[in-house]
Amino acid sequence: MKPTNWQLNLASWIYLGLIYIFLMLPIFALVLFSFEDSRFPKLPWTGWTLNWYSELFANDQLRLALTNSLIVSPIAATIATMLGFLAAYALDRFEFPGKKLLSVTLIVPILIPPLILGVGFLGLLSRLNLQGQLYSIILTHVVILIPSAIALIALRLQQMPKDLEAAAWNLGATPWQSLYRVVLPWSIPGIIGAWLLAFTFSFDEFVIAWFVSGFSPTLPVSIYTMMSSSLNPSLNAIGTIIFLASVIILLGVELLLVPIFSNRQTKPVDS
Amino acid sequence: MTKELALTRILPRWNPTSLLKIACLTPVVLYDGIFFLLPLIFLIWIGFWTTENYRAVPGFSLENYLDIFSQLFNKSRYAYAIAQSIWVASTTTVLALILCYPFAMSLTFVVPERYQRTALLFAIAPFWTSYILRLYAWQTIINPNGLLNSLLLQLGWIQSPIPILYTQWGTRIGLLHYLAPIMILILYVMLSSSDRSLLVAARNLGATYWQTFWRVLLPLSKPGLIYSATFGLIISLGDVLSGVILGGGTGQSILGKVPLFSTVILNEYAASTNLPRTSALATILILLMVAILVISSRFAESKE
Amino acid sequence: MQLTELPTHTAAIAPDPSHDLELCQVTKKFGSQTVLNNINLSIAAGEFVAIMGPSGCGKTTLLRVIAGLESMSAGKIYLDSQNIARLPVHRRNTPMVWQNYALFPHLTVQQNIAFGLTLSSHQKAIVREKVYQIAAMLHLENFLDRRISQLSGGQKQRVAIARALVTEPKILLLDEPMSALDPHLRIRMQGELKRLQQALGITFIYVTHNQNEAFSMADRIVVMNRGNIEQVGSPSEIYNRPASHFVAEFVGYNNLLDGKVVQINSQTMTIQCSQTVAVVQKPDRAYSIGEQVTVVIPADRMFVSSDSASENSIKAVLRGQEFMGSQILYVLETEEGCEIKMIRQETLNTSQSIPVNSELHLAWSSEDAIVLGEPITHH
Repeated sequence: MKPTNWQLNLASWIYLGLIYIFLMLPIFALVLFSFEDSRFPKLPWTGWTLNWYSELFANDQLRLALTNSLIVSPIAATIATMLGFLAAYALDRFEFPGKKLLSVTLIVPILIPPLILGVGFLGLLSRLNLQGQLYSIILTHVVILIPSAIALIALRLQQMPKDLEAAAWNLGATPWQSLYRVVLPWSIPGIIGAWLLAFTFSFDEFVIAWFVSGFSPTLPVSIYTMMSSSLNPSLNAIGTIIFLASVIILLGVELLLVPIFSNRQTKPVDS
Repeated sequence: MTKELALTRILPRWNPTSLLKIACLTPVVLYDGIFFLLPLIFLIWIGFWTTENYRAVPGFSLENYLDIFSQLFNKSRYAYAIAQSIWVASTTTVLALILCYPFAMSLTFVVPERYQRTALLFAIAPFWTSYILRLYAWQTIINPNGLLNSLLLQLGWIQSPIPILYTQWGTRIGLLHYLAPIMILILYVMLSSSDRSLLVAARNLGATYWQTFWRVLLPLSKPGLIYSATFGLIISLGDVLSGVILGGGTGQSILGKVPLFSTVILNEYAASTNLPRTSALATILILLMVAILVISSRFAESKE
Repeated sequence: MQLTELPTHTAAIAPDPSHDLELCQVTKKFGSQTVLNNINLSIAAGEFVAIMGPSGCGKTTLLRVIAGLESMSAGKIYLDSQNIARLPVHRRNTPMVWQNYALFPHLTVQQNIAFGLTLSSHQKAIVREKVYQIAAMLHLENFLDRRISQLSGGQKQRVAIARALVTEPKILLLDEPMSALDPHLRIRMQGELKRLQQALGITFIYVTHNQNEAFSMADRIVVMNRGNIEQVGSPSEIYNRPASHFVAEFVGYNNLLDGKVVQINSQTMTIQCSQTVAVVQKPDRAYSIGEQVTVVIPADRMFVSSDSASENSIKAVLRGQEFMGSQILYVLETEEGCEIKMIRQETLNTSQSIPVNSELHLAWSSEDAIVLGEPITHH
């Protein structure tokens, strides 16, 4: 339903443009200034350089932090996705007392501010002497990754034709076999999407990691330390790289989630 | 056919599916129980401990809360911090709604349908880049020597740099940039699934665009607006990074140079002299959020 | 379920008399609603049984109860003299051909068909051979590597049938499998399905709301209505000798006239209806004078008569007609507003058009009418 009033249309497009500028501005700044030859990003333009990128690759601390992040995030995403798949399946398929309570409890971690979670996690982990290691971050990240994994996989499960699992049982598959051989293949787009989403959340997560990581910082924590110590234009370079990586991941998610959001089902059309 | 489909979900009692059900649910329940509920409950419990000689002593006492509340009414820094947080969160949320709602409307009604998903993706893209680095970028943009100020100075629109960094306006910009993609998504989804025929009918009956908006579209959007507002409030209250990086820790606002409550908690925790009291503060924050959730769900229900 | 040798499916196999399906007092309630009410049914091995009825009559629920997809509130099910009511779905070996086929989208045709066999360990070579055999029987040899999304409706249906048959079950359940096919394809598949069933010699239980399918394929038909079995019998029995009001109204085109028995002779019985007197041949059970009965006259047994005899005839006014291919259905109304149907073999070319609202004398012969007692109410 397009407004036929051309002034309204024009105003809408202008408004869209302005907001897009607002949304893209910091990213644009990051990319732009990562190439500027000046310690202080500013205009007018002072010259092009790739120094900040080479400084970045020489920075041992950042490299270590990046490695840590690349260990923590995939593992946390994998654990969260596996737990999330089982939970999403159980919530979709079964009825049981307390189901509503359970659903709420599983979603809640995403609503609690990471600040509070960070304090809480550290409190528990330090009692058990489990803090300060990479696995501490993995353990705590999984908690906040599970809700979105469940949500995404549940979305995909809801699209499964109801007869499909029943047909598997009917042909002799036990509930386990049917889960493994029919439901799981069907859910793969949702699982991959959930994993990518979880990976991105974990990779970017700062607050909890800051509390829990101690001397094994992840990338956001290292970046924060860099930021607070000095004005370092290498950060622009890292921002650009992360942005590009996110775009690639985003494209991956988009290609996989297209079947989900366009609601394409594989049931034959009744003629 | 729907009844029969529903019947499929409830299997005969003798199927060996209860084992499967337990196997699927146990991992999550165990995991969340140990790594989520336990720390949370532990945190709340610590709030009831006491301190002696700078060491935390387990116990059950309301000492911390009494301490905090008595200070609250003495115009303590806690009171100011809570007020500042509520003030910044509310203004940010309102601002975000004012900015995102027309955007979502334009996206739904003006952008041609086949481009809508791409347009939405571009709007959500910021969400996929590092929050912390976005804040750093904003820092370079809004600081007195930064992009914005040098641009405005060069254009001659201002005479001296506007202080945005290290005020709560800086915080708001950071928060807005964080909230906008998700609010746009929520509002877009609600708007695009709303009943267009109602809008067409209103126009058909002679309503102007403004009337159609005010009297048909806006009431239809209430649930989406309430969800977005709740989301905005909760995230803003709990956020720590914008307040520190762009707000400078004690950003200037109408209420004065007061830090946000979340920043206070963070600092107190870093100083770690009185863990029980810090935990009590954190619990208060949780209660504040629960209150917001309850109020907003009342709002949502009353609209039905 | 180990396969040790390759069975031959080409020769007709005599049904094993020990392979029975028996339903005893099967009842299913859903809340306060009774979906299946005290169903008793015996099916011999190798029979092609069609379960027919309007939507909501419980026929699909009955099928699902047999398969174990729905629970029963009461009753027993015996397959091979074994009570399978306690068996879970995957142990019943009652494979089903689903209305929407429910083919697995992530598997090829060959993998779909082989599914049932791949669940337990079998030699790969034997599995492959079995799949080829079944595929050949259903003319799917050239489609084995296709993905499901590349198949037409008819091909999907055959894959669904092959998939269900590969485990050599004794009984096959079919839930309206033709409903998604084009009409001409449907008729061809009916023939093929019947031939398949006879070649395999296994029991087919076929649920449909399409009467033509039931009549052309089934050895026996079960007519259901609102959770009850109305009548079980051969197609000709059901068609010519409906046993209840519902069946008389549901199957074919019949006219039902209510009346009271006024005279009983050795060979005939006379019934006084409000607009006519019907004389019927000796009915199969004893009636008493004054009993309320219904006379059932098939529409294709009505004809226009010139003489206005009072017996076995009725006056009615033509209200409309419907073209049915080689026949025309006439709908008439009596003085008292009762609807009468008449079917005549004629085409649009040969018909002498009877003007609407003209009054006709219709008659039938006493052999063609049957008598039904009071309608039974089911508890």
